[in-house]
Amino acid sequence: MPYLEIHDLTVSYEKNKPTLERFSLHVEQGELLSLLGPSGCGKTTTLRSVAGFIKPDAGQILINDRDYTRLPPNQRDIGLVFQSYALFPHLTVFHNVAFGLRMRRIPKDEVYSRVANALKMVGLEAFADRRPAQLSGGQQQRVALARATVIEPQVLLLDEPLSNLDAGLRVEMRQEIRRLQQQLGITTLYVTHDQVEAMSISDRVVVMNQGEIEQIGRPESIFAAPETVFVADFMGFDNHFTAVVESVRDSKLTVNWGGNPIELRWHSKFGSPQSGARAEIFFRADNASLLAGREASGLAGQVILHTFHGNELQYLVETEVGELSIKQDSASERFAPGEAVTVQAQTQKWIAILEDREQNA
Amino acid sequence: MVSRWMYISLVILYSFLLGPFIIIFMASFGANANLAFPPQGFTLDWFANVFETSQFIDSFWVSLQLALLSTIVSLVMGMPVAYALTRFQFAGSGLVETIFSAPILVPGLVIGFAMLNFFVLLGDMQVMTGLFIGHTAILFPYSVRVISASLRNLDPYVEDAAVSLGANRLRGFLLVVLPNMQAGIAAAFVLGFITSFNNVPVSLFLSGPGVTTLPVSMLSYLEYYFDPTIAALSTLLVIFTVVLVQTAERVLGLSQFV
Repeated sequence: MPYLEIHDLTVSYEKNKPTLERFSLHVEQGELLSLLGPSGCGKTTTLRSVAGFIKPDAGQILINDRDYTRLPPNQRDIGLVFQSYALFPHLTVFHNVAFGLRMRRIPKDEVYSRVANALKMVGLEAFADRRPAQLSGGQQQRVALARATVIEPQVLLLDEPLSNLDAGLRVEMRQEIRRLQQQLGITTLYVTHDQVEAMSISDRVVVMNQGEIEQIGRPESIFAAPETVFVADFMGFDNHFTAVVESVRDSKLTVNWGGNPIELRWHSKFGSPQSGARAEIFFRADNASLLAGREASGLAGQVILHTFHGNELQYLVETEVGELSIKQDSASERFAPGEAVTVQAQTQKWIAILEDREQNA
Repeated sequence: MVSRWMYISLVILYSFLLGPFIIIFMASFGANANLAFPPQGFTLDWFANVFETSQFIDSFWVSLQLALLSTIVSLVMGMPVAYALTRFQFAGSGLVETIFSAPILVPGLVIGFAMLNFFVLLGDMQVMTGLFIGHTAILFPYSVRVISASLRNLDPYVEDAAVSLGANRLRGFLLVVLPNMQAGIAAAFVLGFITSFNNVPVSLFLSGPGVTTLPVSMLSYLEYYFDPTIAALSTLLVIFTVVLVQTAERVLGLSQFV
């Protein structure tokens, strides 16, 4: 049963230019759902609408079957974590975390024990008397997490919570957030522009673009089977070229690869593709291999550049479908720039996406 | 060699900066009836004379009231302006910011003269009222700038955080924003108070019969007398200002806002 429901939400900052138009989304109880997309895609607008800081033009927001749409933000019972932490600089860690409980007029002893417990959960019980300025970025974000969860909110909202941290700390903190979220079983909306972060932390990921949902699903399925060109680009498919569909058979379609037919999984918004339609083919750099010389089994190419990345070598290969980026194991045969090679497709991990309505109608 | 020249120029610089103060300071204890250097003898009579000269005492109270009142009013008016300028992007916010720095750029004599003309046009106005309006106007931009600086150091999202935790907008402002503005407000207060208390050009035009500020009355005293009373008073004022600024610096870290 959905716990947080957004129905047909329309938000516009400028007249007739809605950031979100009839946007709908359901989050299950206890689920961590990520809103993933580039800046300006509407993910933060969605989050701030749920928090109540943005008044929607139309639509409805329900939490646990209660209508939140017109409720002022301070009566929503929602935990909010910001990119900038937004800790209160003049208060100690203890009083930062206690703030929400004080606003709820909770008795002193209970405030004390709940704050102590929340600080223990984020491993900061020894820092209760410090000021935010005396803490590291990671510690500050832990305080922000404790402050947002100690009030036992209906929903936890996190707005790019790791963007101000350095790479190593980001990995540590996202595990911390996930652990805390699962421990508390709290329904969570997580906004990020980092696909690795979204993949690693979420139960489900929503990829957004220009106020619309491009794809929604489990991280594994979005990673392996993007349904739109935008999602494929965003999910780090390194190679993209356009090909003509030769034939279609059930779940596979056939395109030409250096004179050989290759069968690929396909996804189309507009029903089964016709032969002759244009398909966008995507594959990752490690889903192809290189053979020396010209072979009939693959696509002919010429090495332009190679770079060394420890366990693997990355090649840039010029072919008739464009420049392809291909990763090979360092232990395998090496090719020098200028050398003729054949690119072999590992087609089970490739994907064909059909987006052109006219050709597929 | 470089360090030696630097050392010498530093000494010259400081002697020009501090020299006059030292002369005034020493002269204020001199026994001569005229302001002279080096002073001869030692006396505290000139200090006593400061407190016996009613024009100084009266104008001191005028200056003190004026400085307190205009500083407080400029702060109360400056706070919402500073808040709006730092928190909202609105049409013409750049223009508003420029307008608020204009009084710092326009020469004080021009402001004073313009205000005098304006007040005369307005007709009957109490001298004190004119002084108060004039001083508030010149302090206003300082208040806006100093308070803005303290607000810029505060993450704008702390208010949203407070609201999401259950505080309404007003409580959020009172519990989270205001405490973090304290140092800025105090700094603006000290700066405003000293600016008003030491102001000559605007006060010169707006003073009237019987109501004048301390610096203006010192000027007019100098026109008739040349005894070390003025030196004694100057010494007292320097000490007063230094103590005020040092206290503010120690307690509030004034220099981070100015």
